[in-house]
Amino acid sequence: MEKIQITLNINDKLCEVMVYHNDTLLEVLRDELDLTGSKESCGEGVCGSCTIHMDGKPVRSCLTLAMEAVGTKIRTVEGLANGDELSDLQQSFIDHGAVQCGFCTSGMLMSADALLKNNPKPDEKTVRKALGGNICRCTGYAKIVEAVAHACNPQDDCPDCKTDSKVRE
Amino acid sequence: MRLPRFEYLEPSDLEGVLNLLATQGDDTKILAGGTDLLVRMKKGLLKPKTLISLKALNELSYINEEDGCIKIGARTPIADIIASDLIQKEAFALFEACEKIGAISIQHYRGTIGGNILQDNRCIHYNQSEFHRSGRQPCHKDGGKICYARDEADRCNSTCQSDGATALMALGASITLAKKGTERVVEIANFYTTDGIMPFAMESSELLTEIVISIQGGKSSYKRLAYRSAIDYPIVCAGVFLSASDTKKDEIEDARIVVGAMGRSPLFLVQESFSLKGKNLNDTEVFKKVADSSMNSASTFAVHNVGSTLEYRCVMVSEMVLQALKGAAQAVVAAKG
Repeated sequence: MEKIQITLNINDKLCEVMVYHNDTLLEVLRDELDLTGSKESCGEGVCGSCTIHMDGKPVRSCLTLAMEAVGTKIRTVEGLANGDELSDLQQSFIDHGAVQCGFCTSGMLMSADALLKNNPKPDEKTVRKALGGNICRCTGYAKIVEAVAHACNPQDDCPDCKTDSKVRE
Repeated sequence: MRLPRFEYLEPSDLEGVLNLLATQGDDTKILAGGTDLLVRMKKGLLKPKTLISLKALNELSYINEEDGCIKIGARTPIADIIASDLIQKEAFALFEACEKIGAISIQHYRGTIGGNILQDNRCIHYNQSEFHRSGRQPCHKDGGKICYARDEADRCNSTCQSDGATALMALGASITLAKKGTERVVEIANFYTTDGIMPFAMESSELLTEIVISIQGGKSSYKRLAYRSAIDYPIVCAGVFLSASDTKKDEIEDARIVVGAMGRSPLFLVQESFSLKGKNLNDTEVFKKVADSSMNSASTFAVHNVGSTLEYRCVMVSEMVLQALKGAAQAVVAAKG
């Protein structure tokens, strides 16, 4: 079987790549385009570390064929920041110490980003439900949930949140 | 994990898909969301030569109310069903079941209701990696003649762990199977063979296109037990439909109890369902008796092959049925005011 050429819209850039029919989107992102932010862990849709956005919705890139992604808008973790400026969510992960080994982080960020777009001020239960499909084997869930809940909604009583009043001090 | 090689086809309309299915052999599979199929292919359980993608078939993605029925396109994503007010109002069991499928944030946008109904039966001895399976003789489902779940079994005992199918069977749904030039409607209760290897009574040239739920004025509920609340299959689940008679408010007119994840298909417990007719909606003692009887009936089909111990699953059938009965009864009472 021969490779065929497809065009993918990744992080608002059109990329032409040669793929086999049986290539998953994750393999194309990592091996062909060097976008290694999305990780392969379980490879069967259980862990969530390969999560990306297709047309704004979080999906597993390890269970999506590259051929199926043609014509959709793909956003990976590399596309979250605006140039060198981190997004509020990414900054919040750093501030709250929500990154341990970091392997699950890109998937967590993508799932959380999709949640925050619909609901900028989620409560803890909503965050836990939205991240239900992502596994962190360092088990640092408390920090992650806090980072997501406070990303667009900084709390004065949270020592890790950089609220405007604290910055002024 | 790499996928085995296959040819990917993307027909632009339903006719194109049916034409391809008619001409291709058994080595062809339909790719909707891929959340079940691609996992099985990665594990080497399936090696189809061709995959027909339903990506372009937006015509199969809809939820409509027509002639007293809810019609759902087979390619409708799980997320759309959860978001539908119509489903929440008239088919609450399906809403509850869909909410539990996979993970809320991720698989719901790709996973489809048709794919959930047609997800293959599972078994802890079969759904393993190629390496794991290479160390022993193949089982019935793998093309061999051994069953690791039940000694001396002459056929496959894999378990149907579909949330959607259990809820839909409780709701008395039927499904439309299309083939080139023709289509047929089958009640979901009659859709299953008793064969774990090929659990569905459908031909390889047929495509599931629509799910029809008639609105019967009753209420439904679905309860499930699983290890994880996200991305896990149920180890026991139960769907219940109850309706009250028009003349006597508290009397059950029609009941359907379905137990899932205990056999090769969801189990419609006819005797238990029938015994509820004419009983009082608030009579929890009757519900307890029916739940215990459901446990006895469902237990005869179960084998130890979905992770938890068989004894625990059997006991929990009673609990799941009881919870679902109470949920449905409360909803009926609340609706009647």
